[in-house]
Amino acid sequence: MKYFDRLHPLPAFVYFLMILLLTMFTSHPVAVGISYFSALFFCGMLLGVKKLFASLAYTLPITLLIALANPLFVHRGETILFFLNDNPVTLEAILYGVQSAFMIMAVFYWCRNYSRVMTSDKFIYLFGRILPKLSLIFSLSLAFLPKLKRKYREIDRAQKALGFYAGKSRFDKVRAKMRVLSILLTNSLESAVTTADSMRARGYGLKGRSSFALYRVTPADMAFLAATLLAGSALVVMLFFGVGDFHYYPAMSKLSWSPLFSCFVLIFALLAFLPTASEIREDLLWHRLRSKI
Amino acid sequence: MKKDLLALSVLVFLLIALFSGTRIQSVEDYYLTHIDDIQKDSETVFLTVRCDSVFAHWEDLDPVLAEGSYLPQDGIVLARTEYVLRPGDTVYDILNRAMRYNKIPMECAYSIGYESVYVQGIHHLYEFSCGELSGWMYQVNGVFPNYGCSRFELSDKDEIVWIYTCDLGRDIGAGGGWQR
Repeated sequence: MKYFDRLHPLPAFVYFLMILLLTMFTSHPVAVGISYFSALFFCGMLLGVKKLFASLAYTLPITLLIALANPLFVHRGETILFFLNDNPVTLEAILYGVQSAFMIMAVFYWCRNYSRVMTSDKFIYLFGRILPKLSLIFSLSLAFLPKLKRKYREIDRAQKALGFYAGKSRFDKVRAKMRVLSILLTNSLESAVTTADSMRARGYGLKGRSSFALYRVTPADMAFLAATLLAGSALVVMLFFGVGDFHYYPAMSKLSWSPLFSCFVLIFALLAFLPTASEIREDLLWHRLRSKI
Repeated sequence: MKKDLLALSVLVFLLIALFSGTRIQSVEDYYLTHIDDIQKDSETVFLTVRCDSVFAHWEDLDPVLAEGSYLPQDGIVLARTEYVLRPGDTVYDILNRAMRYNKIPMECAYSIGYESVYVQGIHHLYEFSCGELSGWMYQVNGVFPNYGCSRFELSDKDEIVWIYTCDLGRDIGAGGGWQR
């Protein structure tokens, strides 16, 4: 992560907001696919390919599960494959399930990228003045899960050292893990209270308290913001006029490439792959400059 | 180890319970229903299914249905047909048998609050497909019973009509409130 480290928090925040909203409100499978793969690529750039594949090992089964859940509850659609307890299981419902599963996973990976890029100091820099309480709670809760994971490992190891996992039975092991979870819960509740007290003691959110952050708006930041807003608003207008419309029931609509729709896909792809492209460009630049020295 | 075996057997038992409850049928098997032949002394009922009210509210209709050829041209999904009445048959039983026999897709759900089956859609035309006050209603001998279709037991020579409404029944002559 080179480019997004130096990017001003405002363009980065606007970008993530835009791509998340667009991913959630498009109904077209091509747009969902673009969003999913661009989120994966960017995640690979940020966390490394190894970690990306490790996360895919558990998100792909979840994707499959979500996709298969839809035809169990929705029986609409023309093409009936078979009947399950007198209820039709249709091809359209399965395909819709697949699309919504990938949409949810795209949102998941974009949120993951968001939390990697928009660290809590950046978020508080943006919203600390306007919404001091909300931004603090937001950044605390976002930091909560990684902190919880770390704490869990700590307690787990301490319990092991105390000799609590002596039993060979799997059942006993599960029970021991339950104890760890209960300790974790108590611990985190206490730490939340402590954090709030500590922030108040330091005068967070009081009038006249100033803070310092080293973010300066550069022309490149402005260009990134302008590109995001331009592409995003163009896509929103197109969505509003029904350019990316797609429906599954009773029959799936055909993939037709009208000029306007090609335009939609092109702009969406440009917007979605903008972060990946920026990172790659920065990497190339760095290599070129280094080789000259 | 004993506890492990116990947990495993509980899991296996749950899986067996789950799979013994599911029944998978091919499309041909499902539609291969038996309709009783009408004898001289058999009790019968008449069934009609129509959705012509949609044409008066065409602008409210789901654009997908309006463009495609999903609705019958004359608004008659099933013309008046005579069916054999088995003892204890309800309006739902007759509709289900007729739709299955004619291979017309239908979707319904059991609603616990009304202790009856609720018909969500027939022939790709669903509730809310034509405005937010639309859905399927049924009429027996010219009267809208206003209670669940699987609670209405039929008698000989009853005349059942399923009608699609776009205005909570007001456009097809069913005034009045709901009865439980």
